[in-house]
Amino acid sequence: MFSRLFRRVALLAAPLFLFLLSGCSRADLTVRQSTLDPKGPVAQMQYEVFMDTVWLVVVLFTLVGGLLVYAVIRFRARPTDDPKPIVEEGHGNPLIEIGLITASIGALVFIAIPTLSAIWYDNDVPAEAVPTSKLSAWYQRIGADGKENYAKAVEEQVLEIDVIGKQWWFRFEYPQLGLTSDAKHTVPNEFVIPKGKAVRINLRSEDVIHSFWVPKIAGKVDLMPGRKNYMWIQANETGHYYGQCAEFCGDSHAYMLFRCEVVEPEAFAAWVKAQKAPANEPAAGSKAAKGKELFAAKTCAMCHNITGHFGAGMFAPDLTHVASRKSLAGAWLDNRDPKAQGALEKQTKNTEASVAVDPATLKANLVKWIGSSGTSHGADGKPTKDVKPGNRMHYYAMFGVAGLNVSKQQFTTEELDCLAEYLLTLK
Amino acid sequence: MSHDSHHAPVADKMELAPERSDLGLFRPDRTRGLFDWLTTVDHKKLGIMYGAFAMFFFLVGGVEALAIRTQLARPDNDFITARMYNQLFTMHGTTMIFLGVMPLSAAFFNFLVPLQIGARDVAFPRLNAFSLWTFVAGALVLNGSWLFEFAHLAGWLDGFAWHQALTYTDFAPANGWFSYAPLSGTFGQANAALQAPRFTGVGTDFWIIGIQVLGVASLAASFNFICTIVNMRAKGMTMMRLPVFTWMTLVTSILIILAFPAITVALIELMFDRQFGANFFNPSAGGQPVLWQHLFWIFGHPEVYILVLPAMGIVSEILPTFTGKSLFGYPIIVFSGAVIGFLGFAVWSHHMFTTGLGPVPTAAFSLLTMAIAVPTGVKIFNWLGTIWGGRIRFTPPMVLALGFIWMFMCGGFSGVMHSSAPADAQQQDTYFIVAHFHYVLLGGVLLGLMAGLYFWFPKIFGRMPNAGVAYLASGMVILGFNLAFGPMHYLGLSGMARRTHTYHAGNGWETWNLVSTIGAFILGIGVFIAFVNLVYTAAKGQKCASDPWDGRTLEWSLPSPVPEYNFARSPVIAARDVYFEHKHGVHKLAYENDGGEAGVHMPSQSWFPLLAGFGFLIIGFGMPLMSMGVPHAGWVVIAGVGVMFLGIWLWALEGPGGYMLKTPANPLGTTAAADAATSAH
Repeated sequence: MFSRLFRRVALLAAPLFLFLLSGCSRADLTVRQSTLDPKGPVAQMQYEVFMDTVWLVVVLFTLVGGLLVYAVIRFRARPTDDPKPIVEEGHGNPLIEIGLITASIGALVFIAIPTLSAIWYDNDVPAEAVPTSKLSAWYQRIGADGKENYAKAVEEQVLEIDVIGKQWWFRFEYPQLGLTSDAKHTVPNEFVIPKGKAVRINLRSEDVIHSFWVPKIAGKVDLMPGRKNYMWIQANETGHYYGQCAEFCGDSHAYMLFRCEVVEPEAFAAWVKAQKAPANEPAAGSKAAKGKELFAAKTCAMCHNITGHFGAGMFAPDLTHVASRKSLAGAWLDNRDPKAQGALEKQTKNTEASVAVDPATLKANLVKWIGSSGTSHGADGKPTKDVKPGNRMHYYAMFGVAGLNVSKQQFTTEELDCLAEYLLTLK
Repeated sequence: MSHDSHHAPVADKMELAPERSDLGLFRPDRTRGLFDWLTTVDHKKLGIMYGAFAMFFFLVGGVEALAIRTQLARPDNDFITARMYNQLFTMHGTTMIFLGVMPLSAAFFNFLVPLQIGARDVAFPRLNAFSLWTFVAGALVLNGSWLFEFAHLAGWLDGFAWHQALTYTDFAPANGWFSYAPLSGTFGQANAALQAPRFTGVGTDFWIIGIQVLGVASLAASFNFICTIVNMRAKGMTMMRLPVFTWMTLVTSILIILAFPAITVALIELMFDRQFGANFFNPSAGGQPVLWQHLFWIFGHPEVYILVLPAMGIVSEILPTFTGKSLFGYPIIVFSGAVIGFLGFAVWSHHMFTTGLGPVPTAAFSLLTMAIAVPTGVKIFNWLGTIWGGRIRFTPPMVLALGFIWMFMCGGFSGVMHSSAPADAQQQDTYFIVAHFHYVLLGGVLLGLMAGLYFWFPKIFGRMPNAGVAYLASGMVILGFNLAFGPMHYLGLSGMARRTHTYHAGNGWETWNLVSTIGAFILGIGVFIAFVNLVYTAAKGQKCASDPWDGRTLEWSLPSPVPEYNFARSPVIAARDVYFEHKHGVHKLAYENDGGEAGVHMPSQSWFPLLAGFGFLIIGFGMPLMSMGVPHAGWVVIAGVGVMFLGIWLWALEGPGGYMLKTPANPLGTTAAADAATSAH
């Protein structure tokens, strides 16, 4: 009875399986956060080690699985079997056991060696990623002078970025380039790195554990509060890369995304320069100018810094250049033209960087985000669904004290419009 | 079996007057009805209750899982809120591990271990009852958090002053099943009332005390099983003749008593952080969040083997039975089980590869994790060796056991993939990991336990589950399971992080999430059919012979259902697979008359394990009430401690009790019928 059933199930399952497989294509392996499409040496190394394990597992699975299928079919009970039961006590076969144990250990050595070399390679910026340090790296092995030379070469050629995780967004600082909180220039949620340059990332958290992960550039390392974690990354192709917090960090963990833009070195220099510029001044008497007043009146400026306009804020994302960013609200809302984005979805090449910010989309996002983010009851006075559940704008509004349940800010439709117009001028 | 009891032996239980204890209290003396189930110390009844509670909580955890899958079926879905989603995955994991798999394994331990070693009961029958009731208390505390959550959502709590004063209003835990500090802990400085600000509400307090109480239950049960297996084996039942399931029970119990103290310490520290302003895990006061991870995973990784080893033991019993062949490489299987248990304590940091351990520890834990694949592989090879050259009879338990090997093998292989730390850097905290541990714990453990249920159900209730329904359920479970969790490998590799409430369209995750949800529902229906099948069988199923499978171990020599005294005479064991040998080989089962003319000495029933467990229930609800700021809640906790100690005190004073029971005159007990049944083969 079973074998008949089994044959029927197999007959049904085989075409189903083929149908499901036929849905796969190359594009499925290069989706936005694919780990199978490495664009930098760290991700590449991790991908190669992963593929070593895949091949090993495929071979083992075929062998053991094949034997299991064969055994189950070959040794099924048949009516012609000797009715006398098998009574001899089996103790196994020592030679088979030892042989299989040895073979298993051999198979594991096959993945252990690349694993070990990749662990050290991924740990910190290796000498080969610091172009002029090759000689210094050799010196490093023979004496203290070499060590100093090496450290100097690393300092000169490796870009340092501090990443600070908070519930539920990331702050990026470039201490070598003067983009720091002390200098009132920080970069929330979207960071830029030059192509082909090794970057050392210092991972810090101000509340709970988060994890920094840009799948196409590097695997994740956690941001542990009270610990100084670090990692290094490098991207060898320009493009717009998607990242996400990978450690559960509370209500809005799913909404804690970020982006990494990889650009040519010249464009990077221009970007740094633009980041250091103070905010544009809105034209007097315009909606934007009214929005600027509202920004102070509605206590936004208590937490948000806008260099050149408001300088008190330190808890919340810097908004000096908010209109130049391609995403909003922890990269949950996308400010680019949805149509242009849609056209890119199935492409294998990462050409997303070419999609620019769409002012109309950005404005709609700003209104949606401010109007429904716990700071207010929405434009029509009714409670709206939070864009990011549990977000902290609610708690910090007015006093900047966590956990203080203050009354929510109220916005009229017009006020929201003015605020959005103001933020739109902050390119 | 103490014979120096001062209670006069009575010839027949039916003539026994209610027994008076040292305290002058009457001991309960019921053989049926609610009072019997509440006061029983019979390992078989306790085992059945463990099984019933476990199956109930399996359904609860399953419903939580289906809610999660429904939410994830479409991108940008808002079927449930983010907070509810976080609570659901936390409670799903906690329920399945602590209230589903562990008690179901405990059900098998309870029912089978004394039967397999030829004993009349476990070493400490009342402690066994205490374990059950403490487990029930812990389960109620954990799930009691849902009652508060729903009451809060419905607005019933809004009128209370303490509710209005709460900063965080999450009443069900929402930290994930490993509750990483500091999200589960505190930050900043404690105030004068020793309260530091927290990231989460009282849900976490429910979780802390619930797991703590469950730990007490597991520890008590484990000491009991170790004593039982070491001391109460029948004559001739040497360690190397023990059935593999009993061996795995022993290894699992040792793992529990070594692993649970770590989580006990961690939970106490976390509780002190939250309730009394301690700073174990508070980074702003110099505490170390990573300490929680070490303490949790040095418990949490052995816990994985605590879950899987019983299932491996079950499969190691089923395969020989239905291939008609003794287990290939018995000593190696036993030894590799012990090695897995031992190595299980040496790999915990592979859960923490991304926490910045540094290259040397990362490399060490990477290699040790690979090493654990060797004894696991050995088990699979030996199961293959058992099948090889046998005559496989396909029955529901056998099909499920083969399914176990397949699914466990797949889970093992993806485990090898992330034993390599660089590969794990991409896989950690993604759906690839979710797929991996569900292949091990659901495809592996659940299929193994289902196989065990279908295998021993005829022994437990004397009734045979309907094979057609069983095949249907098993088929749906295996198909639905693979459909639900197979695509998650792809989802993880394409960058979908776990524990995310929702996701945007455009990441390439839409199709496979939908497939996964469909699979989850097929799986859920399959499990429900199996549940209905088993419940129906227990009540009204077709009666069957005492040895329907041509079983190999001692429990099959007993009538079904097993009489309360288990063995009328103590068996004398001369070989491994003793009952199979007895039926077909040269070594026959012998019996010795250990009770003399008086019969069998039986332990008395008792109210006090239940009372002590009830004390834990009060403590368990009191602690979160304290955190909520409910007035006078501290007194509830003190009252709970009082009830618990009262229970233990009265239990200690009531004396061991016991009575003598006349057993059938036939020296083989009632096994003559069983012999007649098997000779028909």
